[in-house]
Amino acid sequence: MARLKFYCDAERCIECNGCITACKNENDVPWGVNRRRVVTIKDGEQGERSLSVACMHCSDAPCAAVCPVDCFYTTEDGLVLHDKDICIGCGYCFYACPFGAPQFPQDGAFASRGKMDKCTFCAGGPEENGSSAEYKKYGRNRLAEGKLPLCAEMCATKALLAGDANVLADIYRERVIYRASSSLRRGVDLQKQNLGGNPGAGS
Amino acid sequence: MNAYGLLWGLLLALLSTAAQAQNDTPPQSGIWIPNPGADLWKAVRQRGQPEPSTTQVQGLDSNQLINVAGEKFRDWRRERFIRYAAYLLAGVPVVILLFHMLHGAMKLEPSGRKLLRFDLYDRVAHWLLATVFLFLAFTGLLLLFGRFVIVPWLGLDAFSPIASASKEGHNLFGPLFLVALLWVFLRFVARNLPAWRDIVWLLKGGGAFGGKHPSAGFFNGGEKLWFWSLAVFGLLLSLSGLLLDFPSYAPSRELLVLALVVHGAAAVILVAFSFGHIYMGTAGVEGTLEGMRDGTVDANWARQHHDQWYAEMVREGRLEALSEAQENRAETTTGQLEEGRT
Ligand code: HEM
Ligand code: SF4
Ligand code: SF4
Repeated sequence: MARLKFYCDAERCIECNGCITACKNENDVPWGVNRRRVVTIKDGEQGERSLSVACMHCSDAPCAAVCPVDCFYTTEDGLVLHDKDICIGCGYCFYACPFGAPQFPQDGAFASRGKMDKCTFCAGGPEENGSSAEYKKYGRNRLAEGKLPLCAEMCATKALLAGDANVLADIYRERVIYRASSSLRRGVDLQKQNLGGNPGAGS
Repeated sequence: MNAYGLLWGLLLALLSTAAQAQNDTPPQSGIWIPNPGADLWKAVRQRGQPEPSTTQVQGLDSNQLINVAGEKFRDWRRERFIRYAAYLLAGVPVVILLFHMLHGAMKLEPSGRKLLRFDLYDRVAHWLLATVFLFLAFTGLLLLFGRFVIVPWLGLDAFSPIASASKEGHNLFGPLFLVALLWVFLRFVARNLPAWRDIVWLLKGGGAFGGKHPSAGFFNGGEKLWFWSLAVFGLLLSLSGLLLDFPSYAPSRELLVLALVVHGAAAVILVAFSFGHIYMGTAGVEGTLEGMRDGTVDANWARQHHDQWYAEMVREGRLEALSEAQENRAETTTGQLEEGRT
C-alpha cells in the first residue's frame, strides 16, 4: 500500500502562501482555522527559509494518543483522519501535535469551542466519499477523485509535494544530489579565493 | 607543580571556549561545504537558540514550526499519568477496605447529650463544595479514563455524547468549585490553624493502630492535613481549570500543557484523599456524619475524638445549653445558629 506524505522543500519555498489560499478555497475551511500555514525563519535576515506545514499524517500520531474519545483513525494510505461526530472539542490533540495541526474553530461566543478541524490530505472523512455531508464537515475529497491535495498541486515552485512517500523521497534525493554537487563546487571556489568567514550560508 | 596545573587549566579553558566560538566558522583545512539547511533544521527542532520565526497565519503559537511540549504531554498522559492515576484511585479504596475489615469502625456509645459542631453556614458551604467536587471529579475522571473503560464496553459512538456532556458540564461548573472552595476556606480556616498536638496526632496515626487516642482540638491533625491539602491543591486545580476553560486566551500551548498536567495531578491527588475523608466521615468513625448532617454531635464522640475541644465546650458550659437546645430542637436550624458559635 502507498504511504501518502507531504514534503516541503525549504530551499524552494518562497512564502507565497498560495498553498493556504488553495486549501481554504477547496475545503471551505471553518472561520479561524488554517489547515496549513507557512512559517518563515529569520525573516529578512541572511539564511531566511520558509516552510509550509500542515498535518504530517504521523505514523504514530500524538494527536490520536492523547484524544480522550479516540476519534482519529489511520487510513490504508497512512492518512490520519479525524471524526467530527465523535470529537468533543477538548483541544488535547492541538496541545500534543508537533505541528499545531488540529485547531479550534472560533465561531462561538465567549471563546467557546467547537469540534477540531485539521488537514485531511484532501481525503475527506468518515462520511461517504464525495457526499455533501462529507464536504460540509471535512471539505473536498480529492483523493477519491484520483487527485492529490490542492495545496501541493498549486505550489508554483514545486516546493510542496504530496504523494506516495517513496516517490517523494526519490524526487528529493535527486534534488539533494544536484544541490550537493553545486555547493561542493561553491566550496571549492571559496577555498580557491581563500575567503574564509562564512560566505556560503544563506545564499 | 601547582602553578603549572593552574596554567594548564586556564589554557584548556581558553582553548575550549575558542573552539566553541569557532563552531560555526569553516575549518582551516579541507573543503568546507556550506550547508544552508543546518541553521534551519536547528531552529525547527528548537534545539539551542530558537531563531525568530514568523507567519501570516494568526493563532496560538502559529509561528512555531515544532511544538516541543507536545511530545512531553503525550508521554506524560499516555505513559505515566493515566496509568499511575488508575493505580492510585484503585489502590486507595482497597487499602481502606482492608483497613476497615481488620480494624472495624471506631465505635460510639451515645450519651444522648449533644454538642453543636457545625452551624448552618458551615454545613451549606461543606455540602456545596462536596457536591461540586463530586460532580467535577466524576465528569473529569470520565474524560480521563473513559477511553479505556467505557469505549471498550459501549463503543466510540456511545461514549462520545457522554464525554461531550461531561466536558460541557465540567467546564461550566468548574468555576463554581473555586467559589465553594473560598467559602469553605474562609469559614474553616480559623479552626484549622496548625498546632503542635496535630503533629503528635499525625505521628500516632490518629490512634488507629492502638494506644491512647491522641489529643485533638476542634479538628485533629488528619482533618487539618486534609483541609490544607484541599486548599492548596484545590487552588491549583481551580487556577489551572480556569485557564483550560478559556484556551483561546492562553498565551502559549506550553502553558496549557502545564495546566493540564497540574490539573490532572491535583485532581487525582484530591480524589484519592477524598476517599479517605469520606470513609472517615461515614463508615470509619461512628457519629461523625451527623455533625455535618444535623450540625450536632454526641458528647461522647467529642470526648473521644476531640478531647481539647470537648473540654473547652464543657468549660464554657455549652454542653448544657446545647443539650437543652437539642431537646426542643426546632425544625429550623437557625435557632441553633444563633445560639452556637459566635
Ligand atoms: C475550578 C474548578 C475547575 C475547573 C475550571 C476545571 C476545568 C477543567 C477543564 C477545562 C478541563 C479540560 C477538559 C476539557 O476541556 O474537556 C478539566 C479536566 C479535568 N478535570 Fe477539571 N476543573 C475544575 C475542577 C476539577 C475538580 C474539582 C476535579 C476533581 C476533583 C477535576 C478533575 C478533572 C479531571 C480528572 C480532568 C481530566 C484531565 C485530563 O484528561 O488530563 N477538575 N477540568
Ligand atoms: S494532527 Fe499532528 S499529531 Fe496528528 S497526525 Fe497530523 S501532524 Fe501528526
Ligand atoms: S479535540 Fe476532538 S480530536 Fe482533539 S483530542 Fe479532543 S476529542 Fe480528540
